[in-house]
Amino acid sequence: MTEQPRLEEATNFLYPFIDGTETDAGALLVDLTASALTKAATSASLRRTTLESCGALITTGAAEMGRRFAAGGRLFTFGNGGSSTDASTLAALFAQPPMGHPLPAWSLTADQAVLTALGNDVGFDLIFARQLIARAGPTDIAVAMSTSGTSTDLLLAMREARHRGMYTIGFAGYDGGEFAASPNVDVCFVVRSQSVHRIQESQALLGYRLWAAVQSATDSPAGVWAESRGVR
Amino acid sequence: MSAPVDIGMTQELAADLSAASLSLAQRFSGGATMWCIAPAYTSHAQHIAVEFVHPVIVGKRALPAVALTGADLIGQVRVSARAGDVVVAVAGATDPEVRAVMRRAAAWGVTTIWIGNGERPPAGAADHILWLDSDDPTLAATGEFVLVYHLLWELTHVCFEHPGLLSAPSDCTDEVCITCSDEGRPAEVLTSTQDGTTLVRSARGTESVVTVLAGPLDAGDLVLVHAGMVIAKLGEDQP
Repeated sequence: MTEQPRLEEATNFLYPFIDGTETDAGALLVDLTASALTKAATSASLRRTTLESCGALITTGAAEMGRRFAAGGRLFTFGNGGSSTDASTLAALFAQPPMGHPLPAWSLTADQAVLTALGNDVGFDLIFARQLIARAGPTDIAVAMSTSGTSTDLLLAMREARHRGMYTIGFAGYDGGEFAASPNVDVCFVVRSQSVHRIQESQALLGYRLWAAVQSATDSPAGVWAESRGVR
Repeated sequence: MSAPVDIGMTQELAADLSAASLSLAQRFSGGATMWCIAPAYTSHAQHIAVEFVHPVIVGKRALPAVALTGADLIGQVRVSARAGDVVVAVAGATDPEVRAVMRRAAAWGVTTIWIGNGERPPAGAADHILWLDSDDPTLAATGEFVLVYHLLWELTHVCFEHPGLLSAPSDCTDEVCITCSDEGRPAEVLTSTQDGTTLVRSARGTESVVTVLAGPLDAGDLVLVHAGMVIAKLGEDQP
């Protein structure tokens, strides 16, 4: 077995009260368990208030998304960091749902060749906008997931999406950031919290509810298929 | 299809999260890398990794965590993980790749955390089983898994504020040491049997062992080793 170097905590000197001789983990585990329960309750409470404040927007957004899917539209999702993975989860839910009918959706972070080519050649701020230029059209849908609502690459992508006639949906936290005021964002879901983690947990549920509402709006798979190919 | 607003957090899950977090902090403190796999939900593996590598809270320590994605996850974990590392999986109890990784964890010397929902894996299938009871097949997309691994990160960083508790407990505290006594140790066969001996990988590293008691063995077989000898071949996975 290879001996691995121990991590040293470089900031320990900041915490002289830390007890390096503590040996009984029982008290800590009790505290951690109580903390987990409190945090989960906070998350659940935020999910509840978020769904209340965003309920009408979910209905509005899902109706337009349903119209666009029926007309052959496709969904492109994107975000940075953890939000990029939540955007990928949402795209996968639309495209490979465990139940209901699949709808065309992709995450724009899926291909590292494309991402690094764009980041290297035209700059990180354009990694999503340039993909929309190449792939997206006026019946398509853009979903940008963010906690700050102010990331430059997302704002530029939403501007490009607007320019191309796409329907644009933004997810943000805090007070909504620049998404909330942007004319390039048709629907802005704001999770009013200061915690990135709690924001993302509520955003995931919002995305899920949006998917469920779109499934209802496009209830007949055959109908969607027929309409998307102009045979009806 | 309306996911519940309430969250499937229970006292039991909170306690399991606490134990997993302390264990994870101890392993990181000992130099571990955390390998993240989620065969059906790649994005969850990547979210866990980015959470630990690039914390959202400025000033928190960046920790080595890596998402493994794509084909042959068993082979990827086998070649990546070193003894003392951690594997965290997000998957249902029947996922064949995750089951195969978990079965090999003791032979590789890695600590395991298994996050999922619905039917639970058997007790002991992983060192820490963080389970949501709902069997909703869409649960993976509702944010509940995200909450579980967010809490895992948050609690792990609380543990770092208790340096006295970060030394992993020794396996040899009892009068009879499991590691050194006459119980068999799990190992994975590295090469097909030749001339009654073979190479195996155990938590101690690579060992040459005698196989005459076990009969023919192939690379990837799981065995029990005692005193330089394979004393039993472990059965196949029973889903």
